[in-house]
Amino acid sequence: MRMGGGSGRPGAGRGAAGRDGKGGPRKKFFVRRRKVCKFCAEKLEYIDWKDVKLLQGFIPERGKILPRRISGTCALHQRKLQTAIKRARSIALLPYATD
Amino acid sequence: MRLYDIVVLVTPDLNDEDATKVAAEYKKVLTDGGATVVKEEPWGKRRLAFPIQRKRDAHYHYWQVQAEPAAVAEAERRMGLSDQVLRHLAVRVDEELKRSAKMAERLRKKAAKRPPRPAPTAPAPEAAAASPERSES
Repeated sequence: MRMGGGSGRPGAGRGAAGRDGKGGPRKKFFVRRRKVCKFCAEKLEYIDWKDVKLLQGFIPERGKILPRRISGTCALHQRKLQTAIKRARSIALLPYATD
Repeated sequence: MRLYDIVVLVTPDLNDEDATKVAAEYKKVLTDGGATVVKEEPWGKRRLAFPIQRKRDAHYHYWQVQAEPAAVAEAERRMGLSDQVLRHLAVRVDEELKRSAKMAERLRKKAAKRPPRPAPTAPAPEAAAASPERSES
């Protein structure tokens, strides 16, 4: 399972822009990588609350749920993810908060 | 009959055998209530994400059960009364599984109908890199 829904292949967009030739002034312009919902991409429809490894990727250090704007998860799957995480928390598979 | 995921956390004070015995009591409550055990997985002694009753770990027992709601309610009630059970969770999963299976089916059909789209970003840099080389040679 890939960890950290938000990160991965950071330079993918930039490399292409640099090779275009007309890069010059554009180089500073950061090409934002398009975020794709992990669950849509991998066609995971059912988010299992027992799958701690999967859920852990959406729990940053603080123990909060990683927001959609960062992970890029779609609304539908974020909602499902949310219930899955909350269930996992109730039986101490995941922390409510860490400091 | 409905499908449930049930997890029980038994105190770490007991050893493995006793913990399974305690868990088996609740399994018996379920089966006496007409339930059939579909899946059974002892997850063993696991570290808790946070301390519960000053305990840092617990014996996890997981079952997937086909049961009547009344049987599950009774088992949950007894788990709540027990001192040896730190936490318990019963979740009805049949509807969610059905819904997600339907969604997956729909996605598959949609994908089959639509002609395969060329991968949006991957080939572009390659093509850009390849073309000048070809013109040079």
